[in-house]
Amino acid sequence: MPEEPAPPLRKIIHIDMDAFYASVEQRDDPALRGRPLAVGYGQARGVVAAASYEARAFGVRSAMPSTTALRRCPDLVFVPPRFDVYRAVSGEIHRIFADYTPLIEPLSLDEAYLDVTEDVRGLGSARAIAVEIRARIRADTGLTASAGVSYNKFIAKLASDQNKPDGLCVIPPSRGPDFVAALPVRRFHGVGPVTAARMEKLGIVTGADLRDRSLAFLQEHFGSHAAYLHGAARGEDDRPVRPDRPLKSVGAERTFDTDLIEPEALFAALDRVAEAAWTRIQRYDARGRTATLKVRFSDFRTITRARSTAGGYADYAAFLGAGRDLLKALFPLTHGIRLLGLTLSGIADEREADMLQPTLPL
Amino acid sequence: MKATIERATLLKSLSHVQSVVERRNTIPILSNVLIEAAADGTLKLMATDLDLQIVETVEAQVETAGATTVSAHTLFDIARKLPEGSQVSLSAAEGKMQVIAGRARFNLQTLPRDDFPVIAEGELPTKFELSAAILRQIIDKTRFAISTEETRYYLNGIFLHVSDEAQPVLKAAATDGHRLARVTVPRPDGAAGMPDVIVPRKCVGELRKLLDEVDGSVEVSLSATKVRFGLGSAILTSKLIDGTFPDYSRVIPIANDKLLKIDPKSFMEGVDRVATIASEKTRAVKMALERDKITLSVTSPENGTAAEEVPGDYDSDGFEIGFNARYLLDILGQIEGDTVEVHLADAAAPTLIRENDTAPALYVLMPMRV
Repeated sequence: MPEEPAPPLRKIIHIDMDAFYASVEQRDDPALRGRPLAVGYGQARGVVAAASYEARAFGVRSAMPSTTALRRCPDLVFVPPRFDVYRAVSGEIHRIFADYTPLIEPLSLDEAYLDVTEDVRGLGSARAIAVEIRARIRADTGLTASAGVSYNKFIAKLASDQNKPDGLCVIPPSRGPDFVAALPVRRFHGVGPVTAARMEKLGIVTGADLRDRSLAFLQEHFGSHAAYLHGAARGEDDRPVRPDRPLKSVGAERTFDTDLIEPEALFAALDRVAEAAWTRIQRYDARGRTATLKVRFSDFRTITRARSTAGGYADYAAFLGAGRDLLKALFPLTHGIRLLGLTLSGIADEREADMLQPTLPL
Repeated sequence: MKATIERATLLKSLSHVQSVVERRNTIPILSNVLIEAAADGTLKLMATDLDLQIVETVEAQVETAGATTVSAHTLFDIARKLPEGSQVSLSAAEGKMQVIAGRARFNLQTLPRDDFPVIAEGELPTKFELSAAILRQIIDKTRFAISTEETRYYLNGIFLHVSDEAQPVLKAAATDGHRLARVTVPRPDGAAGMPDVIVPRKCVGELRKLLDEVDGSVEVSLSATKVRFGLGSAILTSKLIDGTFPDYSRVIPIANDKLLKIDPKSFMEGVDRVATIASEKTRAVKMALERDKITLSVTSPENGTAAEEVPGDYDSDGFEIGFNARYLLDILGQIEGDTVEVHLADAAAPTLIRENDTAPALYVLMPMRV
């Protein structure tokens, strides 16, 4: 009896520009080189968008209030952000990526996943590709990037952090599980300070601790997050590199067997469409700013209604709620509905938006 | 268990109950609704997502008392399609439940009621009543400002607390860090000394839906960790958010010295019109304030520019300030009267928006850089 072949091992590179905005500013103004620099607005309610490595040595971090940053580093220089320049550089590095693979998934202006399982330029190994890409980025833009190379996105992204700045880290399948086992749980996606504290109370501090817990235990304590944690603790992550991701939209739609017109039936159908959409959205760790409802009536007229929220729809209930509100606004209906779709879009770099909209001094 | 219930009654209570059920559950019984028939002629339907629980009690003809659990969404879909006006018979035995109405019969898998998780309420020492109308007002005026950012979990709900001021009051506040909404109502009897609590967003949503169908008063009982709302035939119980809501009163400006009084409707329409050309990257509406004249403008590199003058009462120094169009519209949409007061200080300072100084609701909005 022939055995089912194991899925082919993938080769994933995570490229992460080093202190991107700050490095661009230091590149363009030699007077800023070697100095502690924060990209952002320095006045009372300003915030640090990015900090140079010199500033980081003082404890200055992204998202830190400017006043705190200045306390930690009195010599800190503030430079206002130039998003058009950062976007242009991002375009340049993407053109370099495209020479090696069509499967590029940008996470933000300065980070992307590349799937190089197929070695289109015949360089022989994913490591060789990462080395060449880093060299070309340096030569073409004058900036440095770090890279993580592994067999899935999760480990590749963790790896790129290991030898920052201007570093490369390769984690082959033989080393993956041990690498993950040694990590503190904070490094896992979706594990922030709250979850980490809860895990600590349960005696879970490293990936190994997580791996030793059963799926049922994880479900009891972490609900829907459990499946991800269970796999990640074993170094498993089957998320594909999606080239059509963040700069566009992701969602789902459904055509019904019979046209629906009663609100109850429509809301129930919308719930199902939203669930299908969210399952896909979750795989991208996406937070999109706009939810769009698509409605096709029985006479084939199709309309869309959209709603945006500043912080983005990172949460299923909020996404579904937006869809429900948009649908409700269409009542009373004059025609039955044959198709409903719900899509998330505006999944782009959040930092620019955050810079322009400061927060209340809470 | 064997009971018969009117289709309309079953459908209505199932529609309340099934929206609490999470779509994707790793624990199968969470997808089910618990149905319990009691000898006193009532049927209890319960659903939960482990943080929020709803119990609906309705009238039914109960032949045999007992309980079981069955897929909430499947039963809801079935009930929707059953003939109008029909009597629905539910009978459970040996791991299955039969649903019969008219000439249709369904046989559904069940899971034992003993496996169904019930939220332990514990003691709920604080008890008071709020009219449905006031509770609707509290929710409607604040819920748009609730944060959806999961990392700031302590902002993912409405903060309720009592305070002794000129009169004893109950305050409800919500914020996402960019805008804040606060409503103040007279403190109901029994609420004195209650702990500060944060009611989670999902609970607020389900409560608001139930409030659409209820008048009269709602029984509220709470402790530091749980809240229970009793209204109509439903009891909604929720865990409270275990976190510390920021001291939001600090960000409510009291000394903003520039006052704009303007008709909220024309202001809102103007903002909405100029924001038509706003794009992903440019959601800011610039307001240029001059004596008795406000010029709204939006500049979008992709789409072009828009400008509109709106008349208003303004006597202070001219200056320019920017706001997120959506946030501004969300707040203006809450103003019911003919005038709205906008209290400003400078282009970087939190701005206070309210109908007047006696209105129960006030709003604070952080400006954008333009």
